[in-house]
Amino acid sequence: MDAQRLISEARKQGRAALDELAGKQLLAAFGIAVPKSLVVRDAGEAASVFAALKPPLALKVTSPDILHKSDVGGVRVGLTSSEAIVEAISEMMAVPQIASARVDGFLVEEMAPAGQEIVVGGVRDPQFGPLVMVGLGGVFVEVLADVAFRICPITRLDAGEMLDELKGAPLLRGARGRLPASRAAIVDVLLKVGGEDGLLMRHAADIQEADINPIIVSADGAVAVDARFVLTKR
Amino acid sequence: MSREILERFKPLFEPRTVAVIGASARGMTFPNIFMRRIREFGFKGAIYPIHPSADAIDGLPAYRSLADTPEPVDYAFIAVPGAQIPPMLRAARGRVRYAQVISSGFGEVDEGKALQGELAAAAREGGMRLIGPNCLGMYSHRGGIVFSETWPAAAGHVGAISQSGGIGTDTVRRGITRGIRYSAVVTVGNCADLEPADFIEFYLADEETRVIGMYVESAGDGRRLFELLRDAKARKPVAILKGGRTRLGTMAAASHTGSLAGDDRAWVALSRQTGCVLVETLDEYLDTLLTFQELAPRPQRPTQRVVLFGNGGGASVLATDLFARCGLEVAPFDQDVIDALAALKLPPGTSITNPVDTPVGTLQQDDGGVAEKILEAIYGLARPQALVMHLNLSAFVGRTKADVLGNLMEIVLRVQARYPGQAHFVLVLRSDGDPDLEARKREFRARAAALGIPVYDELDNAARALKALAAHERFLSSRSVTSDR
Repeated sequence: MDAQRLISEARKQGRAALDELAGKQLLAAFGIAVPKSLVVRDAGEAASVFAALKPPLALKVTSPDILHKSDVGGVRVGLTSSEAIVEAISEMMAVPQIASARVDGFLVEEMAPAGQEIVVGGVRDPQFGPLVMVGLGGVFVEVLADVAFRICPITRLDAGEMLDELKGAPLLRGARGRLPASRAAIVDVLLKVGGEDGLLMRHAADIQEADINPIIVSADGAVAVDARFVLTKR
Repeated sequence: MSREILERFKPLFEPRTVAVIGASARGMTFPNIFMRRIREFGFKGAIYPIHPSADAIDGLPAYRSLADTPEPVDYAFIAVPGAQIPPMLRAARGRVRYAQVISSGFGEVDEGKALQGELAAAAREGGMRLIGPNCLGMYSHRGGIVFSETWPAAAGHVGAISQSGGIGTDTVRRGITRGIRYSAVVTVGNCADLEPADFIEFYLADEETRVIGMYVESAGDGRRLFELLRDAKARKPVAILKGGRTRLGTMAAASHTGSLAGDDRAWVALSRQTGCVLVETLDEYLDTLLTFQELAPRPQRPTQRVVLFGNGGGASVLATDLFARCGLEVAPFDQDVIDALAALKLPPGTSITNPVDTPVGTLQQDDGGVAEKILEAIYGLARPQALVMHLNLSAFVGRTKADVLGNLMEIVLRVQARYPGQAHFVLVLRSDGDPDLEARKREFRARAAALGIPVYDELDNAARALKALAAHERFLSSRSVTSDR
């Protein structure tokens, strides 16, 4: 779907943020790899979806009321049969925070190849406009705030300097037994998000905050596994 | 483009006519003082005091309003209670180019926000551009305009902007002591109309300005500021002292200039992307401006390896640590340098590796002449990118008759001349606050300044200043652009 339509659809529905599927479609519209995924309304559709995707699969609840899916048990990974999907859906629906929420459906998706987790984000600064951010995933972002910001649009040189600025930069190169992550793939994502004609510049009027977390980066490429776009207030 | 900018700002920086609102026929208000200062400074144009009833002020004929002056007004200096100002601006009817409003009680306090909006609207209606409110004025050497009690003896090449009047005064006054010479210093206050980016645009275009400094609390149109600085590609060094970078600092900023401070992350990003140097303290700011004034950046050979040379063993050990924290190396010499220095048979107590600790007894040899041999070895063999000479003046007191300090400076300049473009040379003159010593230090600082040598109070100051220079050089180098100078 065309990027601007994804945003206007969400606005039409009165949403404050894009849902995960729309977020990933937005990323895909800018050429960022996302896992192949399909939406099911309920357990009944599990079998047909399973046949169309390559296991192992991940299952995620989709709800405008649930901000952090994994915190409430709304994410399951490594599912290898349609029965496993059916079972996971019924288990999720038994969780009180999910049962009481408006559930749009469930996202079933292929799993990204193993790699290192990074985060790419965006925020609209009241004085400087869109800023783009990068950090290593998990504790590096959440606890240590080891992140680098730049004002959009960034150049290829800026993107490389952002990575060099991270204290955890050696980990991306494969330190401490980690799988090396493709620097070129990360730079590419950063440019597609924060570059001259990137997502944040093109939709500066609509995107208040962006959180593409995690992006799984292997030696060959980067796949955005989850994404959240909070819209500006109108 | 840049000609248009220069034309546009000419009436502000080189006014032919100045109107003053707020001077009293009897008293000594700030506008009276301003009139006295610009006359003493040598302002050559016409001064028009504006007063509702007086016929003359300080011997000059007074006029009833901005619309009644004999000639249109290039620059109006206004310091009367805030509520009186908007009608005065509206009355100007296009006869005033620039008005600087000193008065406070506008956007920096809640109850003044509406008045600030009215002030900006009145300036538009009156057909002028507005500087301030809530500022102290400006200093433009070429224009004969000055707001501070003292001013540098000569014009220079540093253009400064301050969102705080007090820091604007410090910039001028402390700059004098340090030997900084300005093309102009503008205090911009709340920026109800013209904002930092406007003056950055002027300084970038202005040929007299080669170095830019800015104390800023709120960027205003940050995007425009970013784009201006990015497109300038750091061809003029820019030092930014940003107030309100921490959360508590931001709260202080909100009550100070009435502006929401931008996110610190954005300022760090701005500096990385544009090559502006972000400094943290007023001292660091002024030291950095002095450094850029005196030292031409060398992007082809960014500053990294530093030699410390002077008296004070402990001080140089501490400095080695601090330079390292600033990303600068004070690394021990290779054997060839050590051999060359050992061959000089310097007195015991002299360290012949980096940092080079030379007690006063050593420096006194040949009235300082020994330093020439030491420096020759350092420049010829160690080839550092910067040489920091530090002298603890108290150790010289009562022990030297000849002009050892003067000789040392001359020697360094001679060695510098033999190795052009090799090492930045800076001087640290350390004192202990003793009045006699401070007097000697002032004298030497002035002599060094006249020779184009930047002088700092402590090794810490030198480390931070060289760090700023190195950051600027590395930026130019990474972007493969050459400096203007």
